[in-house]
Amino acid sequence: MSLFSTDSGPQNASASSGAGGFAVYFDGTSSRRRLVTLEFNDRLEITEYEHTLAAWSYADIRRADSPSGTLRVTCLAAPALARLEIRDAAVAAELISRCTQLDENIPGRRGVARIVGWSLAATVSIVAVVLFGVPLAADRLTPLVPQSFERRLGDVAEGQVKTLFGGKVCDNAPGQAAFTKLVNAIRESAGLDPSIQSVVLSSPIPNAFALPGGKVYVFSGLLAKADNADEVAGILAHELGHLKHRDGTRNLIYNGGTSFLIGLLFGDITGSGALIFASRSLITASYSREAEQNADTFAIDAMHGLGRSPKPMGELMFRVTGKEGDRNLSILASHPLTEDRLARMSREDRPPSGPPLLTAGEWASLKAICSSDSKI
Amino acid sequence: MNQISLVPRHPPPLPVSFSGDRGEFFRLVARGAGLELITVGFYRFWLATDIRRHLWSNTHIDGDAAEYTGRARELLIGFLIALAIIVPVYLAYFLAGLEAERYKAFASFPLLAFFYLFGQFAIYRARRYRLTRTVWRGVRFWMSGSGWAYAAQAALWGLLMILTLGLILPWRAAALERYKMRHSYYGDLQGGFEGRAWEFFKRGWWLWLLAPIAFYVFPLAPFVYGAFKAVEWRWWLSGIRFGGVRLESTMRRGALIGLYWKVIGWIVVLAVVFVAYLALCAVLVASMSGAAFNQFFAPQVFSRSVPLLILAGLGYLGFALAINVVMRVYLLRDLWVRVLASMTVHHIEAAANVSARGELANALGEGFADGLDVAGF
Repeated sequence: MSLFSTDSGPQNASASSGAGGFAVYFDGTSSRRRLVTLEFNDRLEITEYEHTLAAWSYADIRRADSPSGTLRVTCLAAPALARLEIRDAAVAAELISRCTQLDENIPGRRGVARIVGWSLAATVSIVAVVLFGVPLAADRLTPLVPQSFERRLGDVAEGQVKTLFGGKVCDNAPGQAAFTKLVNAIRESAGLDPSIQSVVLSSPIPNAFALPGGKVYVFSGLLAKADNADEVAGILAHELGHLKHRDGTRNLIYNGGTSFLIGLLFGDITGSGALIFASRSLITASYSREAEQNADTFAIDAMHGLGRSPKPMGELMFRVTGKEGDRNLSILASHPLTEDRLARMSREDRPPSGPPLLTAGEWASLKAICSSDSKI
Repeated sequence: MNQISLVPRHPPPLPVSFSGDRGEFFRLVARGAGLELITVGFYRFWLATDIRRHLWSNTHIDGDAAEYTGRARELLIGFLIALAIIVPVYLAYFLAGLEAERYKAFASFPLLAFFYLFGQFAIYRARRYRLTRTVWRGVRFWMSGSGWAYAAQAALWGLLMILTLGLILPWRAAALERYKMRHSYYGDLQGGFEGRAWEFFKRGWWLWLLAPIAFYVFPLAPFVYGAFKAVEWRWWLSGIRFGGVRLESTMRRGALIGLYWKVIGWIVVLAVVFVAYLALCAVLVASMSGAAFNQFFAPQVFSRSVPLLILAGLGYLGFALAINVVMRVYLLRDLWVRVLASMTVHHIEAAANVSARGELANALGEGFADGLDVAGF
């Protein structure tokens, strides 16, 4: 190899075009490291032992990544991995001055601006889909989901509910008779089919909910807080409203869609979990408030149909939650604020025109539905 | 033209060295973190590519620097295709889970095993992508083998890991590494892995005993984890072969512990700054709102102030990004430098005249790894 430096290469080069120099060359087909001389003629000639290995036209030469202090270039016409490495600053400067399109492949400022622009466009489109597309899709898809599938969803959820809440069913005979009478009255008034099942579960939590596929659960804690049959009837009507509107299935589609899209949006910023959670709860909350409002409308209509006032329902809810406005941000709440719901029910208050839904005795049996001795 | 004879004739005494500037890397990741925020995360493909380009092209082996030829556009396309595949898989997973739940509540957990398998597949294919984008002396590395075969092996070993409470880890690592390295090539030079599980076990068994204690005694954890990573790196590097080329690492057990403490220290500092910022915002918003101070700081009013929530959200973002930068500087760049510093290469002359071989692999694996959150570098 030492023969090489006594070669006539540099002299030749300076004679022909005034510049030349040494470089390291890899031809892209083997890992052999060649010390070569460069000759800046009308093309860049790469010479080893006076044998020209390659001639690259300056317009085809592109920069490749290199450590600082080294210029590494490749050529479009050469094998993809052919590399020429120049460590001499003067030679590097000479080559750079001749190659007009050296940095064509390197993404520059405009490239970054384009990435930012496209990302913003993608963000806007995802947000638009979340706000308008997903609710629409949920509305359109829900009627297409077969009842049998909904029932399965309900079965799954039921299994989990029973695991979470202990699953003790309250059904002593007089209490169950009163409960069935109440449910049937509302169901017939609302025009729902008789496949709906409703159950009282023993739990101190004052709540009630509906599962997809036609299951309504009332916790005994709610019955304990109720003062009369109309209060419970209103709540039941509200839950039947959810069933009638198939809100469970719609929510499932909606939540699945938004979670997926928002996760996609925020991707990989470490620590973005909190952000995803926050924006998701904001958006789904507004959607679920709307569903709750609709279920309330349904309950109001059902109670009017029975000739009873919806106001007791609002009173029961207010008794359970208290005034909510002080405690939470209203845009984060999944339900409308209880005081607003009570105000709405009060506006719809009418003097009763129909018979009481339960007799005093039946009401007492319903209150005692969880007591094990069925004699009152 | 006399100075031209500066071209080095002999490899420098240290066969592996790193020439990257730390300040440059910091600017790279800091700018990248900012752009990631503006682009709500989409910039991650470009940032990951730039980080790899920096690390690869400043790593010199036998005097010649490596090169990373992957491009962010490939990662983006890989991610989009992976998404198109993962979405139906998630749907199928959801339906299958539904059936399982109907049979018995919470019975769908075994289906997570499927995603473990999928994740391992992604890890293999992502490694393949990175390897085929790694070039040294004008010849690329490449990889054969099957991602699913690897995933099956990894899953079976994973099962044994659970059964033995992790004690079998060295044997798992050795078996999986043998598979990966046997299918790795540099040109026509086939890779191999000669690390013996028993050696790994002998150097690290006491860490296995300390791990449960470190789980409860927090200050012990960085020591145990740092020592484990050092032992693992040393054992892994020392086992790697490419034809006649042999790597060796002399990393000490304590070599990485400092890095983890520095990261923890920075996180504490950043957390203090974040809390101070929150306090400042609260005071500022309170004085602007005009309400009496003690009235404003009553918890109900406090948590309902929208400007305060927005300021807190912005602060949180800055906090998260700063942690991101710290992690990348210490746990990517500094770790990389320390690992390289511990490394020597023997019989590099075996790689002096290797013929180029191997096809480029697509970035689908990287896309899966991104979608399933199992990404490495």
